[in-house]
Amino acid sequence: MRSKEKNERCANAIQKGILVIVGLFVLLPIYIALVNTFKDSDIILSDPLSIPIPPILDNIRAVLENSNTDLLELYKNSLILVVAGTAITIAVSSLASYYLARVRTRFSQMLRIYFLVGLMVPYVIVYLPLCIFMRKTGIPFNVTSLIFIFVSGNISFSTYMYTNFIRALPVELEESASLDGATAFQRFWMILFPLLKPTTATVMIFVGLGIWNDFQTPLLMGNVQTITVGIYTAVGPYSANWGVVFAYVLFAAVPVVILYLLAQKSFVAGLTSGALKG
Amino acid sequence: MKKNKVSFVFALPAFAIYTALLVIPIIMALGISFFKWNGFNEMTFVGIDNYVSLFQDARLGNAVINTVIIAGSVIIIVNVLGLVLAMLVNRSSRVNNFFRTIFFIPFVLSAVALSFVWKSILSYNGVLNGFLKTVGLSNLVGNWLGKRGSALICIIIIEIWRTLGYHMMLYLAALQAIPEELYEACTMDGGNRWDKFRNVTLPLIVPGMSVSILMSIINELRIYDVVKIMTDGGPGYATETIVYNIVAQGFSNNIVGYSSAIAVVLFLAIGTLSVFVVTQMGKREVEM
Repeated sequence: MRSKEKNERCANAIQKGILVIVGLFVLLPIYIALVNTFKDSDIILSDPLSIPIPPILDNIRAVLENSNTDLLELYKNSLILVVAGTAITIAVSSLASYYLARVRTRFSQMLRIYFLVGLMVPYVIVYLPLCIFMRKTGIPFNVTSLIFIFVSGNISFSTYMYTNFIRALPVELEESASLDGATAFQRFWMILFPLLKPTTATVMIFVGLGIWNDFQTPLLMGNVQTITVGIYTAVGPYSANWGVVFAYVLFAAVPVVILYLLAQKSFVAGLTSGALKG
Repeated sequence: MKKNKVSFVFALPAFAIYTALLVIPIIMALGISFFKWNGFNEMTFVGIDNYVSLFQDARLGNAVINTVIIAGSVIIIVNVLGLVLAMLVNRSSRVNNFFRTIFFIPFVLSAVALSFVWKSILSYNGVLNGFLKTVGLSNLVGNWLGKRGSALICIIIIEIWRTLGYHMMLYLAALQAIPEELYEACTMDGGNRWDKFRNVTLPLIVPGMSVSILMSIINELRIYDVVKIMTDGGPGYATETIVYNIVAQGFSNNIVGYSSAIAVVLFLAIGTLSVFVVTQMGKREVEM
């Protein structure tokens, strides 16, 4: 009996040990970036782990005063893309899903599958033809076109999530409203859409975070400096001024990490539930 | 009367955007892949020549091997370790919730930002080598990103670091769906921990496992951001991945027809693999 208890305690210690080791592995790079943002660049290499007292703000200042990359401009562009891209994705996808979920014809079934195919597309296949298409037709490479490119890439996921959710809702709710002479759109907007809140939250986080963090699309599709592209061009591929690099990373990551810590459950749901319902 | 009907008009905006900006470009890519073209001058129809050339392209072959090495290692490790971590934090407690929060953080960060952090650590003039020198271990200093082998290992480590928490969460959701009674029944039958894992946990998390494996396949076959920043495909072409190769050929070298052919094959490969995983795992599923 005694040895069993001992075994149990031993197993427990090993379990906690694994968690602590993985936890340190996960946190160490984040810790290094955080503390070294506030150190002199020449101390970083010799003393990367100490806590900077007093904190040195030179690196932060270097980022704020860099005349080539305007941090406010980067934030502004990224924010416009996130807000507009997410809002339009939600609007067109929830509307389309209303049709896909409530009208059961062969055409709507085929349309559902048509939208689903996009989930498997490696997006790299799209960039070149899209570039050529836009050059040929004279569509400008600006924030507006980038918004719609992001929307097109997120419609598959969003209609999939919305269609599943609407199918699980009883039709009676909408029908009672149609008696009062409401149009289909009014039924959707006033009765159904408010009920879709959980899915809207999921879509909002999945799409919004995806756009904020995307690097390939703004890098390849034109002239919009987002926060990710901004870091890349400001730091340059060969820079070794790590203090400034860390400061840029901090500016890109801090808004996301704060939101994540505040709304952790929604973030996890937003980023995993799409996969789980597949 | 017609105003009361839900019609195709509702789906029209999504249909138009999706078709114009996603489906038509894919069809264009398929078309372009049968031409020799630099994106500007005349297109020359070459039939399946581009597809034939794929198999003789040593640079692409290297990119495929790199992608398979990275994807293979990451898929195995994040799925095994993800399941282990999920089991360790499965019981809700303050400590476990803390670890869940921590492990998931890298997945919400942009690959660009976190790649720069890792680059600062692993570069030749980076934090790791600086630290080794300071503590008197200069003989261990290495050019980690400057050699193919160690650079690939670095990329694998970063990908594991980035996605481990995500896969832990997928497994956690699967574990939490298992009814407690099944474990109790196993205990009544005199089963030990291993029996519980073997006879209850493992069969019942097959759906969750197939999702997790599928997501890691899809994500790792498309790896680009981390490679672009850590090594820029280098030294030489040593750490190029498939997507890196497509972008380099198409955008930098203007070999548009050929790079489209590679992209089409990648699309087909991901599609086939996805269907394969889903059907294979579907066979092993048990009814709850």
